[in-house]
Amino acid sequence: MLKKIQNWFDERIGLTELINEFNGERIPRRGGWAYTFGSLLAFLFTVQVTTGIFLLFYYVPYFPMARNATYYIKHHVFLGNILLGIHLWAAFTMIFFLLVHMSRVYFSGAYKKPRELQWIVGMVLFSVVVVLGLTGYMLIGNENSWWTINVLTNVASHTPIIGGFLRIVVRGGTETSVLTMQHIFAVHVWLLPIVVILFIPIHLFLIRKTGHQGMALEYKNSKLPDDDINKWKHPDATVPFFPDQFYKDMIISLAVFAVVYILAVVYGAAIGPMYRPLALNFAPEADWYFLANEELLKYFPGHGLIIFSTFLVPTIGFAILFALPFIDRGHERSPFKRPAATVLGILFLLLLVYLTLIGGEPKAPATV
Amino acid sequence: MTKSSEESPSRRTFMMVVIGLISAVIGVALAIPILGEVLSPLFKKRDIVWSKLGKVNDLANITPLTPKFIPVYFRVKEGWTVNTLPRQVMVVKDITGKFYFFSNQCTHLGCPLHWIPARQKFMCPCHGGMFNVLGKVVGGPPPRPLYVWVHKIENGTVLIQNKFVDNPKERGV
Repeated sequence: MLKKIQNWFDERIGLTELINEFNGERIPRRGGWAYTFGSLLAFLFTVQVTTGIFLLFYYVPYFPMARNATYYIKHHVFLGNILLGIHLWAAFTMIFFLLVHMSRVYFSGAYKKPRELQWIVGMVLFSVVVVLGLTGYMLIGNENSWWTINVLTNVASHTPIIGGFLRIVVRGGTETSVLTMQHIFAVHVWLLPIVVILFIPIHLFLIRKTGHQGMALEYKNSKLPDDDINKWKHPDATVPFFPDQFYKDMIISLAVFAVVYILAVVYGAAIGPMYRPLALNFAPEADWYFLANEELLKYFPGHGLIIFSTFLVPTIGFAILFALPFIDRGHERSPFKRPAATVLGILFLLLLVYLTLIGGEPKAPATV
Repeated sequence: MTKSSEESPSRRTFMMVVIGLISAVIGVALAIPILGEVLSPLFKKRDIVWSKLGKVNDLANITPLTPKFIPVYFRVKEGWTVNTLPRQVMVVKDITGKFYFFSNQCTHLGCPLHWIPARQKFMCPCHGGMFNVLGKVVGGPPPRPLYVWVHKIENGTVLIQNKFVDNPKERGV
C-alpha cells in the first residue's frame, strides 16, 4: 500500500529522488556535534514562530494595556504561563546559541572563501534576531518596555543626518504612543520573522552550493597545502545528513528544549509592573544580551562624544563583523595556525562577557 | 568511533527510532500548552450581571401590543477587560397588562429584528424570520419563539440579566 502511494508520487514528481537528494547531503564526520548549532537555531526559530502565533490569540498591542493582556496570558489562560515562558526562554537561548554558532564558525575559519556569502547571510540573520528580541521586550508593555522604547528610539535619533526622522518613523509619530506599539508589533510579528524565513533557506542553499567543509580536523589525512582551494572539498570521512547528522541535531535540540521547558515552567516569564509615568524610583534595565551595549553607552559623555556610543562604535563593530571574510583572507583554517584571529576572537568574547557582567550592575541609585 | 548508518543497518534503525521518539516528545511537549491555551476559554464561566431597565410605573403607560425598544447596558468582565455590552430589550404589554421582555435577536441566527408597524410583526432582515408581537414564529426559518430576558422587579424597578429564559445552550446574548 505504502509502496503504491510512493510510486504514485514518484511517477509524477520523483519524490523519493528528491527526498534522497535532501537527506543524502554529505557531512564531514569527525566534528558532528559541533555542526548541530545551525539546526538547533532553526529548531528554536520554529518554536518561536509556533508559540508566537498562539500568544497572538490573546495579545493586544495597545500601550499600556498590552501589559494587562500579557498578565492575563500568564495568570488566567490555562497553561499560558508555560507558552509565554517558552517564548521568552527560547528567545534568550536562541540569541545565546547564535553567539555560540558564530563563534564556532569564526574559530574554525569556516567563513573563508568560497563561503563569504554564507557568513554575510548569517550576519543578517543575527542582526534580525537581536532586533526581534528587543522588539519582543518592548511588546510586554510593562515599565521596562516603555523606557526601552524611549531609550532605543533616542539612540536611533543620534544617527547622523537622518536620526531625527528615524525616531519619528520608528515611533509612528512625534511621541511614544499607541502608534509606536503598533509599529513595533508589526515589525516583531510580520516584518522581521519574514526576513528570517526568507534568509534561512538562502543560508541553507549556500551550504549546499559551497559544501559542508567543516573544521580543519576533518582534513588530517589530506596531503594538499592549506592554500589549495581543493583541499577543503574532500574531508577524510563523511556521513549522510539523514540519519547520522540529523540524529545528533535532534539530541541537541531535545536537550536544549528540555532546559527551555524547565526554565519556562520553573521561572516563567516575569511581567513586571504596569508603566507608571510618575514613578520616582524605577530603574529600567535591559535584557542580558543588550547589557554590553548598555554599558558602552555610559563611556562617551557629552555632546561631542555621544555619537561614538550610539552610532559609531556599534556601526563600525557590525561593519567589521559583516566584512570579516574580506578582512581575514588567509587560507589557514585551524585556530592554532592563525593565532592573531584566535586571540582577537577570544579577547572580543571576554570583552563582551565583561561588559555584560558590569552592565548588569545598577548604574544609578535606585531611589531619588 | 561509533559506526555510521551506512556501515551498520542496525545503527541506522536505532537512529531513526531515536529521531522519531524525540520528534514525538517535542511535538507533544509543545502541543500541550498550545492546546491548553487555545481551549482555555472553555473553562471560563460567563459573567452574569443585573442591569436596571427602568421603573415599572413608566412601563405601565406604553401602548398595548406595540413593542417599546429600551436599551440596557451590562458591565461584564471578559479576559483582562470590563466590557460594556449594550443590548436592546423589546418591552411588550399584552391586553391583560402582562409584560414581556424580549431580546431583539432573531432566534434563527441572531440578527437584529425590525418592528414593522404596518404588518404588526418583527421581521428579520437577514434570512426572513417573522414573529408576531408576542414572540411566536409566524414565518421563516427561526426554530423557536423570541428569547425572553431573565428579569425581576425590585422596589418598582425592572432589572434585566444578560441571560435568556429557557436557553440551555446559551445561544444568542
